[in-house]
Amino acid sequence: MIPVQPLCSQMRRDLVQVLALCIAACLLGPQACTRDVPGDKTTTLVFKHGKIAGDPGPFREVILQFERENPGIRIREEVLPAATDEQHQFYVINLEGQTNDFDVFALDVIWVPEFARAGWLKDLTHLLPAQSREAFFAAPLEAVTHTGRVYAIPWYIDAGVLYYRKDLLEQYGFGPPKHWHDLVHSASVIISSEPELYGFLWQGKQYEGLICDVLEYLWSHGGDVLQGNRVVIDSAENRRALSFMKDLIDTYRVTPAFVTTATEEPTRHIFGKGGAVFMRNWPYAWNLFQRDGSAVKDKVGLSPLPAAPGHRSASTLGGWQLGVNRFSRHPREAERFIVYMTSYETQKLLSLTIGYKPTRKALYRDEDLLAAQPFMAELYGVFERARPRPVTPYYMMLSQVLQPEFSAVLAGIKDPGEALRAAQKQMEFILKIEESG
Amino acid sequence: MSRSQSHERTTHFLFLAPAFLILGSVLLYPGISVLWLSLHRRLLIFDISRFVGLDNFAYLMQDARFWNAFGNTLYFTTVSVSAELLLGLGVAVLLHRAFRAKGLMRTVLLIPWAVPTVVSAKMWEWLYNPDFGLLNYLLGLRINWLGAPALALHAAILMDVWKTTPFVALLLMAGLQTIPGELYQAARIDGASPWMVFRTITLPLLKPVILVVLIFRTLDAFRVFDAVYVLTGGGPANTTETLSIYAYKVLFQTLQFGYGSAIAVTVFLFVGLTSLLYVRQLRGVTT
Repeated sequence: MIPVQPLCSQMRRDLVQVLALCIAACLLGPQACTRDVPGDKTTTLVFKHGKIAGDPGPFREVILQFERENPGIRIREEVLPAATDEQHQFYVINLEGQTNDFDVFALDVIWVPEFARAGWLKDLTHLLPAQSREAFFAAPLEAVTHTGRVYAIPWYIDAGVLYYRKDLLEQYGFGPPKHWHDLVHSASVIISSEPELYGFLWQGKQYEGLICDVLEYLWSHGGDVLQGNRVVIDSAENRRALSFMKDLIDTYRVTPAFVTTATEEPTRHIFGKGGAVFMRNWPYAWNLFQRDGSAVKDKVGLSPLPAAPGHRSASTLGGWQLGVNRFSRHPREAERFIVYMTSYETQKLLSLTIGYKPTRKALYRDEDLLAAQPFMAELYGVFERARPRPVTPYYMMLSQVLQPEFSAVLAGIKDPGEALRAAQKQMEFILKIEESG
Repeated sequence: MSRSQSHERTTHFLFLAPAFLILGSVLLYPGISVLWLSLHRRLLIFDISRFVGLDNFAYLMQDARFWNAFGNTLYFTTVSVSAELLLGLGVAVLLHRAFRAKGLMRTVLLIPWAVPTVVSAKMWEWLYNPDFGLLNYLLGLRINWLGAPALALHAAILMDVWKTTPFVALLLMAGLQTIPGELYQAARIDGASPWMVFRTITLPLLKPVILVVLIFRTLDAFRVFDAVYVLTGGGPANTTETLSIYAYKVLFQTLQFGYGSAIAVTVFLFVGLTSLLYVRQLRGVTT
């Protein structure tokens, strides 16, 4: 009994000390470990980006090349899920907390004004002086510019395109459609003799992609959403455009009703197994259709989206930009990394290996690239005509009120006029938020 | 003596400290800050942050989208929880009888509950696919399950019922095991019909467990997010937008932290009130 007692109290004292240490460590944790060891000249930049759709090997090689060229800078990649909404959420939470856990990050084209307005992005105007701006496509440049300053550098570009079955169109004596009614006509003729095929697939689920699809119809019918700060969505052109989308399903019956649940991948799957004549999608699908074993290999053509007579074809701009976290402790090194990642050579390499489409126009005349990907010439025209979604810090709010309205039209709950009137009212309300404080 | 006593006391507190620290930092602090935020107009991007009292809640009352989400959530909760309870009760009574391969059946039954919700939602998304989904294939139909406004919420309810009935059945089965067998024997001797046995013995004695099941399921269903978000994202035309999805969109997609918090607080109040009612019921039953 007796010798046990001191042992116990000794043990207890030890335990208490351990516990106290644990608590202290908990409290001091974030400060106690700093990333850079003093005296070490190496700077570690943390580069956040979404998951690479494809082989990450070549991407890693591009980064290693930068480290070889810049001794003293190391890049640590941190990958986020591919879904843009999840990435947005991650950045919002962390930047709101003024984190310096990452230095360089990839931004979806719709975020730049929002993040710039919130003061989360370092001004990068000096990286893109007027004379070097001309090297880039106009639409992404517009998207990264907020109140006349540049807050991110366009990294790779995306835009809506029309895929068509070359073999089927040839067989029935049609060319790629220039106008929407050409598309309706060719699709109707072909599916009436090939009933197992769908005519025209696109993305109609209530999500960000729906906005991209709908804008292409609005613009190619001469309509628009926002002019400067003026809401112009409730217009005759837009009513015609939305009615046409609904008619594709109900009247012309070239689009199956299930597009109201479709995102990019399901439509790509159906088209890829040879199940449809036309499809609206992003350029990424091309490489997948051309893979060995694909049911539509060498049978697919790609063209700009059609337009209404008297109007121009329009594609919604997508793609990613690189920006510097304003709270980064290594802004100079971060800028150097961005210059490298958006250079001619790097963009060329990324385009050849993982299919990221360059934001620099000159690359679309690059012989190596054209030899490897002949459709690049076609894409040039599409990207040149691409238009950004409304460039405003309010974009995410506008998107949230537009998605259900557009979805209501496609689902048959509201007629186009009713939906557009509601959208106009809500958009005007949102744009006044800042003044009303 | 007193020194060692006070030493003892500090030791107690030291041992409790981590628990308090954790509870305080993951429960109390976030809870209070959401409440505090809900009284503010806070828009990150425009640097707007000011106290507005109950303005957010006043706006909530006339926000059509909020009421739409509220209606969806209430409908989802009522229908799915009732269906789960009825089906779960049936399954539990069946499985409670002794038969061969009972253990195996119970294990199989648990599979839907064991699969993570996001995974099963993705799975159901494929099952519902109008073009190559299994459901339409089996039915020989071309139904646009998730794209038709009248169907989408029901499709989500069906998935929830599939997923949670096993959980309900399992809890009820545990309840059935606590009912003494002699009661059944006595009833049989008195010549009671199976239905009478069920009504006068099984159901009353199972009531506390049923109430516990209802508490769990109502609270879960009322806060439903992941299943519906993956299946439909709230569409078409917000017909499947629940309160949690609406709060998520307001908070993390449009960054209106004050208003989003007000929605979250409302959900919390409703859930708190419901559980209070249940708990009171439960107390009446058990004492």
